[in-house]
Amino acid sequence: MNGEALVFEKVSRWYGDTVALADVSFALGPGVTGLLGHNGAGKSTALKLCAGFTQPSTGTVRVLGADLARNLDTYRRIGIAHDRDALWPFLTARAMVALCARLRGVRDPDAAAARALDEVGLGDVADRKLRGFSHGMRQRVKLAQALAHDPELLLLDEPLNGLDPAQRRHIVDLVVRLGEEGRTVVVSSHVLHEVERMAPRVLVLVNGHLVASGDTQAIRDLIADRPRSIRLRTDDGRGLGRELVGAGLVESVRFEDDAMVVEAGDVERLGRELPRLARDAGVRLRRVEPVDDDLESVYAYLHERARGVGR
Amino acid sequence: MTTAALPSLNLPVYRLTLRGLFSGRRILALAALALVPVIAATAFAAGGEVEPDLFWARLLQRLVIPTITAFIAVVIGASAVADEREDGTILYLASTPLSRLTIILSKVAAAWTVTLALVAPALVLAGAIALRGDATAAQFAWPLAGVALAGLCYCAAAAWLAMLLRRPVVIGVLYILLWEGSIATFAASADRFSVAAYGRAIAVEGVIDVNAPDTSAAAAIVVLLAVTAIAVWAAARRMTRTELP
Repeated sequence: MNGEALVFEKVSRWYGDTVALADVSFALGPGVTGLLGHNGAGKSTALKLCAGFTQPSTGTVRVLGADLARNLDTYRRIGIAHDRDALWPFLTARAMVALCARLRGVRDPDAAAARALDEVGLGDVADRKLRGFSHGMRQRVKLAQALAHDPELLLLDEPLNGLDPAQRRHIVDLVVRLGEEGRTVVVSSHVLHEVERMAPRVLVLVNGHLVASGDTQAIRDLIADRPRSIRLRTDDGRGLGRELVGAGLVESVRFEDDAMVVEAGDVERLGRELPRLARDAGVRLRRVEPVDDDLESVYAYLHERARGVGR
Repeated sequence: MTTAALPSLNLPVYRLTLRGLFSGRRILALAALALVPVIAATAFAAGGEVEPDLFWARLLQRLVIPTITAFIAVVIGASAVADEREDGTILYLASTPLSRLTIILSKVAAAWTVTLALVAPALVLAGAIALRGDATAAQFAWPLAGVALAGLCYCAAAAWLAMLLRRPVVIGVLYILLWEGSIATFAASADRFSVAAYGRAIAVEGVIDVNAPDTSAAAAIVVLLAVTAIAVWAAARRMTRTELP
């Protein structure tokens, strides 16, 4: 475990009666790792513990082999973009990034700031006061100060928040490149497909518990394979329901108001075959929508599954 | 590992805090407050019903130290830390190899600088008006020393409050009003726990002795410096243990 940049051993963190993180263990090495979970799942607490901004209630956190609280010099090797939308409004982007680099012991902070600001695409506004920066620009200044001192470990809390699609692509590419350069990068997000584009590995947190970890694609498949409910609005629900059950496409059918809700084990197959089946049965499909495709239910499913596996 | 000798000031953090404190409208309001003793001295100079020395001593003891210096230093000292905790920018300083003591020390030094920049010129001006040009150097030097040391102590204590609480300015001002402004004025022993009392003891050393606490100026200097050191140390310790921002 000594080679791992970031190690959590049985880490719990609670605030009064609220458990933010429960008995979480993992070890991360070089490359990009996604930290996935809904709001309040414990992502920010986990990143705060990594960054040394709070201490675990029990367990140990080791960052680049050290306990940060006792080894402040380690901060020279860590870049942190935290979740607060905070910048010194009276500084220019260049001054702020250079200041952060200087405080972290960079020999030529001005050159480092120029390089980092170019890297996040803010080179041409570097001399403007941060006061007037848009959310997307602020987000990228936070990233630039995390990069400027060339850190081995990067902790990025929701780095794509507030960015437009072009900026997102740019930052995703940058994060991927940072991982390929052999840095350990932790990226938190509540959006799976966002993490998917950056991180080959992912940790999934639900209500403070680590419910899944490993290959992002495998977890993606796991999520895709869960049974799902689909709501169908048609002009002849009962007729179509019979056909769907008969074809073995759905496991159950129930009727709610004027719609039919079916539970499907293989959603993709249902999607492929539903139009043909409806056409053959002479039923018109007015609306087809997933009932539980929101992330909450995805996480709830993973949580249930993790508890089942643990038993 | 051998560099952990004496806690030192970090100039970039000091300058950064100065800029933060000088930006915004708060500084203008506090500068206006600092001018109140000048206005009071001007009004007296026109009226002239009290002995100038006596008036100057009362002005220092009842207005300049316990109200003007206390209020300005507490607001500035608390803001030096609380502004950055509130918006989260303190996390940028926390994620550096700087010792927490260096960070707090630099912030307190910046707050003290701003406090003196506001209070000291007004004090000299008020003194010149109140004493009508008939003043000795000691009549300015001791009050300046009293304001400087009480201001430093208030700044450090307020910085500690800002590491401890979410509303340090409110609590700091309540302390000034309730404890120093009220309880300590009629319960003599409470004076021992009042920063202003020690500040007054120093300030009136070179003026005249009216209503001064029974502490000598030398003892007051020692107490204020000791309280400052403890507050800075406690704030730094708190910064390592509390959850940031």
